[in-house]
Amino acid sequence: MNASPVYRALVLTAWVAGVFCALLCGVLAYEHFAAATNDPWKSPQLLALKDKLAAEPKNEAAQKEIRQLDLQFRRQFRRRLALDKTGAWLLAAGVVVLALAAGRAVTLKKPLPLPQPKTGGGEQSVRLASRARWSLAGVGLVIAGSLLVVRLGNTSYLPASQAGWQKLLAPSAPQEAPVEDVPALAEFQANWPRFRGWDGSGMSLSGSNAVAGVLWQSAIPAPGHSSPVVWGDRVFISGGTVARREVFCYNAATGALLWQRPLENVPGSPPKVAEVPEDTGYAASTMATDGRHVYAIFANGDLGAFNFDGTVAWTKYLGPWKNPYGYATSLAVWGSNLLIQLDQGDARPAGSKLLSLQGASGRVLWERDRPVPASWATPIVIEAAGKTQIITLANPWVISYALAGGNELWRAQLLENEVVPSPVLAGGYVLLLSPSTSLMALRPDGAGDVTKTCVVWTNEENVPDISSPVSNGELAFTVTSGGMVTCVGVGDGKKVWEKQLDMEVQASPGLMGGRLFVLGEHGPLAMLQAGRKPDDLGRIALADRFVASPAFAGGHVFLRGMTNLYCLGPAAAKSAKQP
Amino acid sequence: MARHLKFVVALGVMLLLGLMVSAEQRFPPPDFENGYVLPSASTPPARQFWLQYADAGVLLACLAVAVFLLYKKRSRRGLFWLSLFSLAYFGFYRKGCVCVIGSPQNVVYGLFNPQYAVPATVLIFCFAPIVVALFAGRAFCAGVCPQGALQDFMLIKPVSVPLWLEQALGVIPFVFLGAGLICAGTGTGFLICRYDPFVPFFRLSGGLFILAAGAVFLLAGMFVGRPYCRFLCPYGGLLRLASLASKWRVRVTPAVCTQCRLCEKSCPFGAMREPAPAQTNPTGLAAERKRLGWLLVLLPALVLAGAWAGAKLSPAAAQLDPNVALAERYLRQQSHPAQYGLMTPEALSLQRASENPAPILQSAAEARRRYDTACRLFGGWIGLILGVKLIALSLRSSRTDYEPDRGACFACARCFSACPDERVRLGQIL
Repeated sequence: MNASPVYRALVLTAWVAGVFCALLCGVLAYEHFAAATNDPWKSPQLLALKDKLAAEPKNEAAQKEIRQLDLQFRRQFRRRLALDKTGAWLLAAGVVVLALAAGRAVTLKKPLPLPQPKTGGGEQSVRLASRARWSLAGVGLVIAGSLLVVRLGNTSYLPASQAGWQKLLAPSAPQEAPVEDVPALAEFQANWPRFRGWDGSGMSLSGSNAVAGVLWQSAIPAPGHSSPVVWGDRVFISGGTVARREVFCYNAATGALLWQRPLENVPGSPPKVAEVPEDTGYAASTMATDGRHVYAIFANGDLGAFNFDGTVAWTKYLGPWKNPYGYATSLAVWGSNLLIQLDQGDARPAGSKLLSLQGASGRVLWERDRPVPASWATPIVIEAAGKTQIITLANPWVISYALAGGNELWRAQLLENEVVPSPVLAGGYVLLLSPSTSLMALRPDGAGDVTKTCVVWTNEENVPDISSPVSNGELAFTVTSGGMVTCVGVGDGKKVWEKQLDMEVQASPGLMGGRLFVLGEHGPLAMLQAGRKPDDLGRIALADRFVASPAFAGGHVFLRGMTNLYCLGPAAAKSAKQP
Repeated sequence: MARHLKFVVALGVMLLLGLMVSAEQRFPPPDFENGYVLPSASTPPARQFWLQYADAGVLLACLAVAVFLLYKKRSRRGLFWLSLFSLAYFGFYRKGCVCVIGSPQNVVYGLFNPQYAVPATVLIFCFAPIVVALFAGRAFCAGVCPQGALQDFMLIKPVSVPLWLEQALGVIPFVFLGAGLICAGTGTGFLICRYDPFVPFFRLSGGLFILAAGAVFLLAGMFVGRPYCRFLCPYGGLLRLASLASKWRVRVTPAVCTQCRLCEKSCPFGAMREPAPAQTNPTGLAAERKRLGWLLVLLPALVLAGAWAGAKLSPAAAQLDPNVALAERYLRQQSHPAQYGLMTPEALSLQRASENPAPILQSAAEARRRYDTACRLFGGWIGLILGVKLIALSLRSSRTDYEPDRGACFACARCFSACPDERVRLGQIL
């Protein structure tokens, strides 16, 4: 049968409209996916300009470029929206033509009604009603089945009974909202609440007695490189393996192990623990305490807060991390804030962050992305230029953040290599090491990029690569891995003396009672006069391997060896060798 | 060729829908570093008062025109143009809001929430089509509903759905209506609006799921007339009930039915009913009466069973409420901790819940109580509609002419032209 010209025209129209719609959709889909993959917010050009502006906040040219780029992106976006809208209406028009033409073509081909003789209408309606009832029963069963599946697939944790509700609601009325119960600053200063003391300087403000020998030593059940932290009569250290990460609490007076608690069942932490390099291990990060809780972080990403009786207060999983040597940055506390520097990766954007958590609850107060790769230095908190600043180090930036809110205050591009040594505050300056390159003093009172203006002095002699500096405010001391101790003036950075100790050193030095303590990797603990002359004040032989830095509290020195925790003090003098 | 046509039409519609999915994109705000704070987003101002009444006026006028075209002019063409106008005005111009289909939720929400006063215009949108249906059948569906118009427009080659299946699936709109009203009454949200598959087309924007649902309905609607209206539309359920009692009804013929049967396949929506004799098989009457008796007894049992099942469903259904969902997540986190991104909405809401869980738990307890009652009602409602429908299917109806089912008829006037008398009236046959 030959189709009429009208019919053929309608079919042709429908095809043309269909192809038009298809092509239009293809163009718009391409445009959309191309736009989706080119997120203007992640434009390398814009990111580079933003970096530039962050480094030079007063760079008007950069500001203008950013504005222009932003305007350009917005115009592109508006153009795309307009294109989408126009395309949608064109498509709608295409579909209208398609539907009209196709509908009309079908109508032209529609056969005329030609009813056939019919019998048994009454019986048919009876059969129909019967079938409808059964199908209705089927629909009812489907509805019931669907609701049953919804019910069975749902687990409710809310109580089912009135009594359960009363029980749930009753104790929660005066709920124990985390109280900001923060010890006084003097308490922090009297203890050793974090890596290298209350302010990360490595200097103890308490104790002036001579340290004569080992008072006690206790076995540590799990390996780790983290340093001890001390609060009151308790010493805390962490240790761990791929199978188990734990926190240990010792009696500071006797060395008795008071409790040990694994950090486990951390929400979101994968059952298969990420592997980390053996040299670093799972417990390289030193714990921290605010006197109410003690915090521990492990290289697999688990973070936990423990009460002083060993019960778990809260946990969080922050991993996984990309760190070539394993995560080793220590925790920092300041007041009720727990600070975590999570630097990772080897190229930007690497996912590095700085986090501030409420210690009592673990609530994230703020987080800031950091434009740096992995680092191993621990941040310090200082009061300077009328602000409480968090000083962070990583290649290549020294960046200061405001403790309140986490806004960046200033940054300086000064660092090279793999940054392990932590900064200290001395004489109003931030002293920091660019590993194996230079020791620098910075004024922490700038804004924006202070690379060219903040450096007060630089000293390039005997620069360590692992251990951090220590200072009494007038003099600063550094120790290289080869045992070279160097003393420089804090005011001018000029070398005052240097002394070669016949030991290898990985631990950072410490100061207590006018003595400089240098801990050899295989012992001994050497004591020098922290003055303008390097008088040798004695050595204490120790048969262990030491990578962790010493902790000082109550006139005692706490050392973490590979196998034992040591407490050194004035009472026992058996192992001291006087010069 | 027809197969190719279907393919081309389907392809065009799918591509159109795909484009609409792509319309969901946002431009991130600039990262101001000079202290400038972006103004907080605010809710757009309500439509001006007089414009709201203008919308209601347009609705009433359209209903009046639909009744006039249906009963006075018997004009399919007029209804077609009216439905196109409604599609343009209530659909694309008003973007599907206020929507007659969703308006019962406003009314129920207002009934159970004293702080919410139902606007008079919403009341007009809710009740005017029902009042019209009480007198003139589903004139609203015929030419005023934009959702119906969109499906009607896409109908190309209708196939008939078996009547027994049509009858059974006809209860689903009532289930959806119950669910929507329960959600509105408990303050959870407007389920019917949220899952209206055509509003995203009117707005040229929408979520993937609902756009996909709309695509399915439109594609199905090319071959199954108005699938949403027939098998899901909750307001259609109300109109169906109202139409059963309508004063006037749509008649195929303008004169006397000659039972020529030319109209028996003229309805693309399966609403045409054959003549049925009052009593065809007297011997089966006893069994039918017995069945009817049993069904009458079964009706309260079904209602009670539904209420019992609804109560069992209550803990799951209550999780539609955001406070209950948060309380559940909070308690789940206590017993089976899960990991969320540090600053994700889930983590932040959990943090807030953890800081002071008492108000959230208290609110969840109240919502659970509301849901307990609501789910019992919902279950009972399902039992009731199933029971009533079973009873309705067990009653004999007598019909002498071919005529549309009062409840199922969309009053689209398509069947008119199938009647030779109508053609005589129009002067098409001499």
